[in-house]
Amino acid sequence: MAKRQVDPITLSVVRGVLETTQREMTLALEKTARSSVFNLAHDYSTALFNHTPEMILQGQDIPIHLGSLIPAMKSVAGFFEGDIHEGDLILHNDPAYGGSHIIDTCMYYPVFYEGELVFWTVCKGHLTDIGGPVPAGYNPEAKEIFAEGLRIPPIKLWDKGVPRNDIMNMLLTNMRARRDQEGDFNALIGACQVGARNLIALMDKYGKDTVQECIAELLDMANAHMNGLIAQVPDGTYSGTAVLEDAGHGFGDFDITATVTIKGDSCHIEIESPPQVPYFINSYEGNSYSGVYLGLMMFAQLPPPYNEGLYRNVTVDMGKKGTLCNAQSPAPHMNCTTTPMETLTDAVRLAFEQAAPDKVSASWGHANGCNIAGWDSRHDEEYVTMVLASIISGAGATASQDGWHACGPECCFGALTSGDIEMLEHSYPIIIHEYGLMEDSGGAGKFRGGSGTRWAVEPLDTDMTLVTFGEGRRIPAMGAAGAKSEMVHKKVGRLEITRDGETQIITDNVIETIKPGEIAANLNPGGGGFGNPFERDPLKVVEDVRNGLVSIEGARLDYGVVIADADTLSIDEDATAKARAAA
Amino acid sequence: MRTQYRLGIDAGGTFTDFILADKKGGTRIFKVLSTPTEPTKAIKNGLALITEETGLTAQEIVSNSDLCINGTTVGLNALITHTGAKTGLIATKGHEDSIEIRLGHKEDGYRYDPDYPPATMLVPRHLRKGVSERVISDGSVKTPINEEDVRDACRYFIAEGVESVAISFVWSVLHPEHENRAAEIVREMMPDVRLTVGSQLYPQVREYTRTSTAIVNAYLAPILQRYVEAIDAYFRELGSQHPVRYFQSNGGLALGKVVSDQSVYAINSGPASAPQAALDVAEPWGDKNIITCDMGGTSFDITLTKDGQANVNKNIDFLRYRIGIPMIQVETLGAGGGSIGWIDSMGLMQMGPQSAGSEPGPACYGQGGENPTTTDANLVLGYLNADGLVGGRLPLDVDKARGAIKTKLADPLGISVEKAAYGMFTIVNNNMVNAIRRVSVERGYDPRDFVLMGAGGATGAHITALAREMGISKVLISKLASGLCAYGQIISDVKYNYMAPAPIRLEGAEAAKKLDNLFNSLEARGKVDLAGDGFSEERISIRRSLDMRYVGQVHECTVEIDPFEVTEATIEDIKAAFHARHKELYTYDEPHNAVEIVNVESTIAGHVDKPERMKIGAGKGAHETLKGTRPMVFNADGIAQDTPVYDGSLMGAGDTLHGPAVIEEVTTTIVVEPGWTVNLHDSGVYVLTADAATEQGQAESRKELAEA
Repeated sequence: MAKRQVDPITLSVVRGVLETTQREMTLALEKTARSSVFNLAHDYSTALFNHTPEMILQGQDIPIHLGSLIPAMKSVAGFFEGDIHEGDLILHNDPAYGGSHIIDTCMYYPVFYEGELVFWTVCKGHLTDIGGPVPAGYNPEAKEIFAEGLRIPPIKLWDKGVPRNDIMNMLLTNMRARRDQEGDFNALIGACQVGARNLIALMDKYGKDTVQECIAELLDMANAHMNGLIAQVPDGTYSGTAVLEDAGHGFGDFDITATVTIKGDSCHIEIESPPQVPYFINSYEGNSYSGVYLGLMMFAQLPPPYNEGLYRNVTVDMGKKGTLCNAQSPAPHMNCTTTPMETLTDAVRLAFEQAAPDKVSASWGHANGCNIAGWDSRHDEEYVTMVLASIISGAGATASQDGWHACGPECCFGALTSGDIEMLEHSYPIIIHEYGLMEDSGGAGKFRGGSGTRWAVEPLDTDMTLVTFGEGRRIPAMGAAGAKSEMVHKKVGRLEITRDGETQIITDNVIETIKPGEIAANLNPGGGGFGNPFERDPLKVVEDVRNGLVSIEGARLDYGVVIADADTLSIDEDATAKARAAA
Repeated sequence: MRTQYRLGIDAGGTFTDFILADKKGGTRIFKVLSTPTEPTKAIKNGLALITEETGLTAQEIVSNSDLCINGTTVGLNALITHTGAKTGLIATKGHEDSIEIRLGHKEDGYRYDPDYPPATMLVPRHLRKGVSERVISDGSVKTPINEEDVRDACRYFIAEGVESVAISFVWSVLHPEHENRAAEIVREMMPDVRLTVGSQLYPQVREYTRTSTAIVNAYLAPILQRYVEAIDAYFRELGSQHPVRYFQSNGGLALGKVVSDQSVYAINSGPASAPQAALDVAEPWGDKNIITCDMGGTSFDITLTKDGQANVNKNIDFLRYRIGIPMIQVETLGAGGGSIGWIDSMGLMQMGPQSAGSEPGPACYGQGGENPTTTDANLVLGYLNADGLVGGRLPLDVDKARGAIKTKLADPLGISVEKAAYGMFTIVNNNMVNAIRRVSVERGYDPRDFVLMGAGGATGAHITALAREMGISKVLISKLASGLCAYGQIISDVKYNYMAPAPIRLEGAEAAKKLDNLFNSLEARGKVDLAGDGFSEERISIRRSLDMRYVGQVHECTVEIDPFEVTEATIEDIKAAFHARHKELYTYDEPHNAVEIVNVESTIAGHVDKPERMKIGAGKGAHETLKGTRPMVFNADGIAQDTPVYDGSLMGAGDTLHGPAVIEEVTTTIVVEPGWTVNLHDSGVYVLTADAATEQGQAESRKELAEA
């Protein structure tokens, strides 16, 4: 029951208005942003904070953005403490101040009411470029963050209502595709305004104090909810170690370990990772929070709304400064929102799988995507973008069903949209030859992992620079509850470049030039399976074979189902029984 | 009207509404239970009911009527229950999976839900066949079509017993020849199959949307065809003189042939006639900005017209399937009389979306329902008459309502039953307000500039509360409110949409000429189609819309214009309309930046004569219709006050009363909160007006209340 004298009805109403506000901010962002990363791909997030600042509502957007907004907001508010005024607007991207990677740019708008700071409306979005030597920011050659792009510590874009055009011009001068970046900045600012407008209307209606009381109550309720879930887990220490594969940097595979200690209704998560490396896979602390919180949510499986109250009894130690998951300047980091974040998430998920075996789902396919850049001769202008359609992996199976096809990567958890291929071809000088599901790519299990995707592209009439990032090209998405696959090579991602009839398979992060007539196909991993694949209903396996999701060979090797006739797909019952018994 | 009567039939999920209008302004509503498995049965029952009440035989009515049918549920049910036709897709090789990839997205709200299932595929993967062919973004052919691939697909479909085929190729909108050739081959090899061609059904840029729309169409076409054939034959038998017209989700009528070919236009047509009805009801006051709320047993449907034009949606997910064609925007919320109040895992009171339905129904129905519903709350608050709904045919049990609210809500929250009931009322209203924002605020409109229109049987209890919450000061409720959508159909025009892709940067004389030609050719086609249904040129009107954006944006905003000649000069007007719309929607515009068009559309309407407006006799004063008083709760404190109850069926034109009050009509109850004045207009419409002085007072008292 409510500790405060909050009317339960008003509480429900305030909750509804907060969610509507966040929704309207998200819509404003989506509809107005320029870059396809924003508006086709939903690679943006919105959140509301109170004055303290504590996150009072997290949008249902990209998980990788939202955890890190919590430390980032605190850091930004702290930086300008005593100097925050009505009409200010703050911009920031630097991981040293809680940011994720510098291409994710955050806008913070303080909302004043009767002269007092009451709320912050906050948006974060993945721009298409942030300056630096490599278009779109992903520079596998970078040894330091300085070689990745522009670091923006907290700065005021508006000062007491006056836009600082000199600052904006300085930023845009340092970025490619200026028009798109300017449009995206406008979209972020517009969304913050939309949020502020609604919050002020809410306070007009119920009064500032009532609204704040309700919000305090909502935070407490979320806290109680998560505590209740944690309390159901037996006290103890649980540990999970996930392996981050060497995606071509040569430093070898890395272990990331999460140790979860449950005591009553509180939970402490300790991360251990190797020292940071001069390669773009280091994660600063803010970003690592996102990874840890996502692992926690895979256990908690909570419906919205989400606010910071959820994490009040969850303490996190990211390990020593200067490590992979707690990097410090000048560690290069551009890849961090996917790699090592997803491995970090897996480690946390795995620890929770020990703690609550029936509640956790399998891992999703990791991100393994492409950025493209070049010259668009149709409009005589340069283009650069991250292609979200190149990154769509399979979802992990759960204790109740097969994983969704084409719904990942894990770090985005279905929040992305990959964009219509005609819109992509309209916006960029490319031909997308294929965008489909891949046979045998879903992890085997009693419940099968979702299929990964194959995305094949050819430049229209000019050379295209293709930059790859991520991993998951050797180690498949982790199954749960005893799932395992035989045909591992089908479950992982890779890049296939076809030139003059010859196909080259690439499993490292590379920068390649693709000419018209050549085709680059990016393959994305499937999701992990759940449970023993030999317990999967053979008829379900046959249905997967009929639909080209599992091959006849895959049925036999991964599922122990022997198909007697390739046309009718009849099952050889004896051989199947034998194969399954032999396991 | 070509005939003596116009008969509208609205086959809804629970009830089939009949509306019979004559030339002299007589308009009556009849209701029978729907018979989803045998649609003509409900029609037969309805006609029998009309005979019973009016003495007119079915033959007399049908042979003297223009007939309008809304068979929305036929297609809708097939889509909900996944019982459409066995369908095959022929796609560009490499792109067979776009409808299963669904842009790689999982719906918001289910982010971490391990049990939320993927959308059921209307066409399973093995029935999606790729063909080697490719058109690219400038409309040129990169790879010619491999006809043998099409034949292979047909052979497989024949072996599998496919009943309906969709063809959808990448960029077919810029070069339809490949799809057309594939269609010829399919017709040749599968002469009996239903065929949907993407670039013909929905000629707009966006492959996923086009393919998905074509598939939904193909999936439903055989079902709609059977339905239309059965209905047409039935009415021919009864001597109908004119072809039956069917209502579509674009807000207009169409001939049966069109509906069975373009079945996707029929799927959410149920509430789509509300805007037309609302405009008609509001005509005596000249109101053209109207938000219409239609609350029934399980859902709450909202539509909006601005300047007399209904909000239209394109490219939306409907029942988890992407549909591109223009549909009247209907925002549906699981908030009806049966919506259940519950306490969520965080301890917050929620209303819906679960509904007690009609079985077991609200607790007060006494049919074993144990969950407290909106109807239970309204009963406890005194708004509803315990003698019962539907003219006393269904008595309500107040004790059961109180018991359910007490056990499930009031006790756990530690508040009184009355407070909890008022809380339920407040929360369900608030859910509705948030949904109303989606048709208004999210479209860039301020709801305070609108009139609120009540439709459906259950809206009347909430309507003044909703208006109060939205800051709306005028409410209209017609005596026909419970059958408003059926009424909307019989006054609707025949309407068809003609679309074309138009990836044009809006600059210069050449672009203007191109656009002008495009609109003219679309509209020429429309005029031919309407001429075929007997519409002369002067009965035809045109409305144009353009999907526009700043160069570099990916989402468009739709701008509507009148059919003027597009020239280099008038291009500036189109741009100005776009900048203004962008600012209205998103708080800013960028007048210095280039603007482009993606798709264009012309809506061509053939005007149908409307029946005479309803007219009622003068009243003798509202006091003459006073039935008595009941204690009612109008405040969060839960304290009841004695409130007058009026018999609406006895009220006449000019009768006026002040809130708090309740007006009981036969099929609806109107709750008039304190601070509102009601006047019954001679067109049978209750006009509710917020007393100016109380508007401010209300805001303050709420604030005080909340603080107390």
